Amino acid sequence: MSPSTRPLLSLDRLTRAYGSLTAVNNVSLELPAGARHALIGPNGAGKTTLLNLVAGTDRPTAGRISWDGEDLTRTAPARRSRLGIGRSFQHPIGIGELSALENVVLACWRHHPERRAAWRRAERLRRLRATALEQLDAVGLADVAHRPAGALSHGQRRMLDLAAALAGRPRLLLLDEPAAGLTDRDIERLLEVLGRLPEDVAFVLIEHHIDVVAQLVDTVSVLVEGTMLRSGPTREVLSHPDVRTAYLGTTADDVDPGGPETNTGGERVADEGRR
Amino acid sequence: MGLLDGQFVPALDGVAYGLLLFVVAAGLSLAFGTAGVLNLAHGTLYAAGAYTGAELSDGTWGGLLLGLLVGTAVACAAGVLLSVATAPLAHRGHLAQALLTFGLSLIGGTLLIEFFGADQVPVRVPEALDSSVTLLGHRYPAYRLCFIVMAVALAAIGTWVLTRTRAGAAIRASADDSEMLAATGVNPRLVHTGVLAAAGALAGAAGVLGAPIIGPGPGTAETVLMLSLVVVVLGGLRNLWAIAGAAIVVGQVQTLGVSLVPGWAPYLLFGAMAVVLVVRSRRATATGTAGSQVGARTGAADPIGWLREQLRLFVAPFAAPLAQLGRRVGSNTAAVPGAVRRGLPPAVLVVALAALPWIVDAYALSLVGYALALGLLAVSVTVVTGYAGLPTLGQTAPFAVGAYTTAVIADAGWTVGPVQIVVAAFAAGLFCLVTGPAVIRARGTTVLMITLAVGELTVVAIDQLKSITGGTDGLVGFPGPQLLPGSAELIEEMEVYHYALVVAVIAVAVTMLMLRSPAGRLLIGVHGAEERMRASGHPVDRYLLLAYVGAGALAGVGGSLMAHVRQYISPADVGFEIAAFALLAAVIGGTVSVLGALFGAALIVLTRDWVAASWPGYGPLLLGVLFVLTVYLLPRGLAGLRGTPRERAGGGTGGDADGVAGNGTGPGGGTDDGDGTDDGAGGADGLNSKAEAVR
Repeated sequence: MSPSTRPLLSLDRLTRAYGSLTAVNNVSLELPAGARHALIGPNGAGKTTLLNLVAGTDRPTAGRISWDGEDLTRTAPARRSRLGIGRSFQHPIGIGELSALENVVLACWRHHPERRAAWRRAERLRRLRATALEQLDAVGLADVAHRPAGALSHGQRRMLDLAAALAGRPRLLLLDEPAAGLTDRDIERLLEVLGRLPEDVAFVLIEHHIDVVAQLVDTVSVLVEGTMLRSGPTREVLSHPDVRTAYLGTTADDVDPGGPETNTGGERVADEGRR
Repeated sequence: MGLLDGQFVPALDGVAYGLLLFVVAAGLSLAFGTAGVLNLAHGTLYAAGAYTGAELSDGTWGGLLLGLLVGTAVACAAGVLLSVATAPLAHRGHLAQALLTFGLSLIGGTLLIEFFGADQVPVRVPEALDSSVTLLGHRYPAYRLCFIVMAVALAAIGTWVLTRTRAGAAIRASADDSEMLAATGVNPRLVHTGVLAAAGALAGAAGVLGAPIIGPGPGTAETVLMLSLVVVVLGGLRNLWAIAGAAIVVGQVQTLGVSLVPGWAPYLLFGAMAVVLVVRSRRATATGTAGSQVGARTGAADPIGWLREQLRLFVAPFAAPLAQLGRRVGSNTAAVPGAVRRGLPPAVLVVALAALPWIVDAYALSLVGYALALGLLAVSVTVVTGYAGLPTLGQTAPFAVGAYTTAVIADAGWTVGPVQIVVAAFAAGLFCLVTGPAVIRARGTTVLMITLAVGELTVVAIDQLKSITGGTDGLVGFPGPQLLPGSAELIEEMEVYHYALVVAVIAVAVTMLMLRSPAGRLLIGVHGAEERMRASGHPVDRYLLLAYVGAGALAGVGGSLMAHVRQYISPADVGFEIAAFALLAAVIGGTVSVLGALFGAALIVLTRDWVAASWPGYGPLLLGVLFVLTVYLLPRGLAGLRGTPRERAGGGTGGDADGVAGNGTGPGGGTDDGDGTDDGAGGADGLNSKAEAVR
């Protein structure tokens, strides 16, 4: 897809340790422009930590992050956002006392071509608002654009968070469990929005709904206890025996060394799937 | 060796002093770490113990023992009272509790003076200990040695209780996760009360035993509070040994430090505190703490909620017709530009203020002028606390910089008012640019403490730089301002007042315009969802620094006005008490309302100097009551009384969502979408309570 041969994002032996606990251990990953990638793994596998490392809210204890050939390891999160890395949050936070629209206006502020001195020129501010309204419309929140974000339902807040992430027109979108707690209708909307992303926009998705994963992504990485168990095309990875035993916990008879722990992980996934 | 020998006595004094601070600070840290109460009345508890001890000690062992029992019991009871008082505020964050305890300390201080008099009270120690022993060739008071032993014993008992008993386990568990503790069948309320009672008892016991070291007097409470705050900050909250170490260090600074390098000791103390806080807040991640100030409201069953409701009902009959009238006027005069309509009430206020010199006497006029200066300080606190989300007790520092700069340059012959204002604002802004990086990284209570350190360090610096600032005597006799180069000096009360009014109006107008511009929105965004803003590419630190510097410049302007209105400045005008008043004024205003903060400042000046003038000596008491009432009855300040409350970030339980249309949309907004009253352009500045409040 991309004419350039070098990867968009490249993680080189990333490690993040909190004292004696190593949340992310020696993980390497390369994503080309337009990649559709999912991170899966049991709870506590280090998925969110890895995402935070890429977004810059957390710093690795070792390893390197490159973005478009540039070293990003010690860059502040705000700068990464301006370079084209957008993200959503596991627990979406909106600015409660501002309207949904104003939330998105603030989200595209630093990215919009009109941002220079936007606050001095009513004309430019109006154009910023128009862009934001389009973005809200895309995620189905146009009706509630003028309602304070604090008064939105959980699902709406999640969508608002997504709209804010998209408002920066990122080249890479980091999505932390975007479907958690959503109704079926909202999930459909989410699939639609993500399906409509331009081809050169990449995203990394943390998700427990396997059907959502299967529908959206081309490649998958499996993290277990901070280490990368397997990474590759979705179907191949999900059907790999190691992954099935370690993560999906195929059958109870299938006793393996890491038995009890990985099994709880598997049940957890089953739970999530049922919800 | 000679130096070591010569400093032996102060060094040993430092140990005694340090252990005393340790016992007091342990209580403070216990209350904060486990009960979550930043207890600014802790020094008052110590003072209560010290007074009781001094009163009952008659030079016999029995007297000391009786004093210890009674003093401890009194402080313990006061601790229980504090727990009852703070329990309903548990969900309102540390700021409300800090203000409440400060108010209670003002009340308690008045009561102590009432009972024991306003003088330093002499303390008699048991005769057996009223001698000195020879130690390594030095004579040393026996009582202090004995105190060291007793304090160590007290510390040992405390450690044992905390680490080896069930009650101690419950306390430690409560610090970690009080909900989990509740699930195991322990009533967290009981732990809350128990902890505050124990903290009070510790302070009381320390007061009785420590009375011969830090004696009971009017300044005792503040000294002890400040020193133990420093100890807690240096030592952290969890580790008793670390607190003990910090206490000894502070003790040494206060004795050995004063003996070796007099004049530097206070800098060392608060400087060390600021450094530790900054380093620690940098290590900790900034996530999660923002926006935790506002939580769920207390249950419907609480009496305070009932009282508050009564107050609202009382105000409602007056407010409703007014609001209706306003709305009718608003709808009928759609042709009148919105800016004019909104600007009308402030305009009326300004005209009334301008006419004041012909209505009230000179004394009242000077008070109003002072209220304007304090009002600018309060507005500056509002910007930092309410908009940037950094609760501050240190805006008095740029305020002081502005005031002293004005006085000094006026003496040097720069007497043109506008020039002074600009220079004062610039100096104060520069000051904030230097101190800002230390402040803006932290969040929540840490900010309160860092800014407190900044404020105290500034006062210390003013005390020390006698040649420039006049030290504790202050500055007086500097010339008044001129409007233009060559014009006459403003001397008349009325002229100075009008000068102050014009400057204040311009400063407030500029601030309001800034806050209502999209730049203000950016600040609200940072306060409301910092991580989201960072993730959207906003350089949050730069915004906060700019806001802090801007607010500092505003405080500097306030300081400049104060210098001229009072024609006298001293460290007491820019001290901790003023910082607490400014914070209260901001809270009275609702922390996000500029005009509210001005009203708050006026209310405080009115209470302290006007009402109290007819009731001399009771100013602190009245202010204390004002603090307490504000915290309980005005959780959202005056702005909250206008009947347009909206649950802030995260709440979502929505009071009556006022709706931009103001036509009674259901709680949280049902399915209606009647909020289209603001059309495209107007919508840019409608929509939220903060924008409303700014008016």
